[in-house]
Amino acid sequence: MTQFKMSCYLFAGALFLAAGCAPSTTSRPDTSITPGAPATGAGGSKSGSVGEGQRGATKESNTGPTASSLDQLREGKSSATAPTSPLKDVYFDYDRYDLRGDARETLRVNADWLKSNPAARVEIEGHCDDRGTNEYNLALGAKRAQSAKDYLATLGISAERLSTISYGAEIPVCKDQSEGCWRQNRRARFVVLPARPAS
Amino acid sequence: MSRHLTAIFLLMFVLHGGSWAQTKGDDGSATQRGEIVGQGGTKFPIAVAALRNLGGGADNSRLSDGIADAIVHDLELSGWFKVIDRAMHIEHPQKSGITLGGFDFKDWSTVGAEGLVKGGFAVQGDDVTVELRLFDVFQSKERIGKRYTDPIRQYRRIAHKFADEIINQFTGIPGIFNTRIAYVSTSGGRFKEIFVSHLDGSEKFQVTKNRTINLSPSWTSDGKSVIYTSYKDRSPNLYHFELYSGKEAKWAARNGKYLSGKLSPDGQHVAATLEVGGNTNLVLLDRNGNPIRQLTSDPGIEVSPSWSPDSKQLVFVSDRAGSPQLYVFELASGKSRRLTYSGNYNTAPEWSPRGDRIAYTGRVGSRFAIFTISAEGGEPRKLTSEAADSEDPTWSPDGRFIAFSSNRAGRRHLYVMQSSGDNQRRLTGSDGDDTKPSWSPRLE
Repeated sequence: MTQFKMSCYLFAGALFLAAGCAPSTTSRPDTSITPGAPATGAGGSKSGSVGEGQRGATKESNTGPTASSLDQLREGKSSATAPTSPLKDVYFDYDRYDLRGDARETLRVNADWLKSNPAARVEIEGHCDDRGTNEYNLALGAKRAQSAKDYLATLGISAERLSTISYGAEIPVCKDQSEGCWRQNRRARFVVLPARPAS
Repeated sequence: MSRHLTAIFLLMFVLHGGSWAQTKGDDGSATQRGEIVGQGGTKFPIAVAALRNLGGGADNSRLSDGIADAIVHDLELSGWFKVIDRAMHIEHPQKSGITLGGFDFKDWSTVGAEGLVKGGFAVQGDDVTVELRLFDVFQSKERIGKRYTDPIRQYRRIAHKFADEIINQFTGIPGIFNTRIAYVSTSGGRFKEIFVSHLDGSEKFQVTKNRTINLSPSWTSDGKSVIYTSYKDRSPNLYHFELYSGKEAKWAARNGKYLSGKLSPDGQHVAATLEVGGNTNLVLLDRNGNPIRQLTSDPGIEVSPSWSPDSKQLVFVSDRAGSPQLYVFELASGKSRRLTYSGNYNTAPEWSPRGDRIAYTGRVGSRFAIFTISAEGGEPRKLTSEAADSEDPTWSPDGRFIAFSSNRAGRRHLYVMQSSGDNQRRLTGSDGDDTKPSWSPRLE
């Protein structure tokens, strides 16, 4: 909790500060209400870049560190990204790691947030649906995370602020054996890391 | 076709030629080449009597039936025997002798047995001494006689060792029942932990308890340690766990994202998958985990190395041609050749300890099935039905069986089959999903 508070001050633009540290009693923001997955097919944010940051600001903090999928698994919580998160998941086709049009659009929105929060460091998680073998999926997830990272870099985000990790098919947000579920799992997810201790 | 004929010939020769004790000496090489395919009518009828309590303590651990049951389990798993139902047995196991002359072979030929396993046990404290014999009912002869002393709680190991002797008697190669399987299971929670158990699920032992994700277990060639990938320190890395001491250590000496690693059969090197900047490539480490050199340098995905039995080649997965396919890498030349051409998703290869074939997971339509292909290439053989998904094949140390995971009964469980695909049987039935089996070498 102390870590959370500290990072609030470190990260926050004025926009986020007030909302950001107020609800610290309600713990992490993305312990998730409903799976923030693309119920409408192609996935990703449809609402465009204008509203994203503001929506986050008016509701609750999204500027502090968020929990990795592994942390969420450890605590028995869903690794689905909260709908209020300013950093949206991007989605991939089966056995592919190239970026679709909607993925690029989402990444541009994410890049905007990263530009307006220049202290934030982000870990990009690569995930897969659970078809196929574990090791291949670990490699595929690494590719997906890297694709997202590379595109953010072309949008002007310093690569030093971005790290990647692959969870392969090991931490799905949805466990049914259906395409509707699989496509929610084929994602890159963005986790805001705690601020560096002294920088 | 010729394989089948050889198999039938062998069975006829072995089982009805009246000289099964000499099979090993006379025909060892032929036996080693042929896979004995048990076909309905040609399975060898054998009876396994409940064991006689020879005195000492009372049979509080149900050893009389327990040891016999474990032998029956193994013989049935092999697919080569038809085991006579114990309810059909005529003689009383606690009243008849267990050595030649102490019982009547007619009691066994009457129920259709051509082979007979009899034995006795004596409990002393926490230990049990077990005598087991294999008899030829037609010839009224003893073929094998063995005595074992072990802790009572490990009585099933005695059964497995004797089952291995029986298989040796019939085929000239010891059986593979005194072995273990390492696998990944979600048993007991949402985490993926590494477990080890005997083929029959006994002596189940939980290797990792770090409440994260642990993957891709494999064995050191001495069968004493398990290597696996773990997220216990957030980022994937290789670990080494010594089963006897319970000591766990990070295997790779340097930091990096190691997705998997396997020790070579000669124990000298580790072939590992290392991710750098989104690219996964094969790297060679020494046995202490120090990097020696990078083996592949492709911008795509290169994963899942598995060693040839002579430790000179690796089969691995690469998507360099646009879809995941198997390739063989030769360490001396640094060259690789493509192995699979059919299908557009071929992964998780494991090289047979015999060296001749490679088993892997291939996609068929929307399902996954186990295939084998010659190490030289050619037409693959599909061994499992695409009515369900079957994945992650691993060879028995004699190369005659393949264990794998399948969701054919709902959750994922482990199964075993002959390397021909015959006699598929379920091994595990835990409350979680059991995946990624790795078959140990033969154990002491």
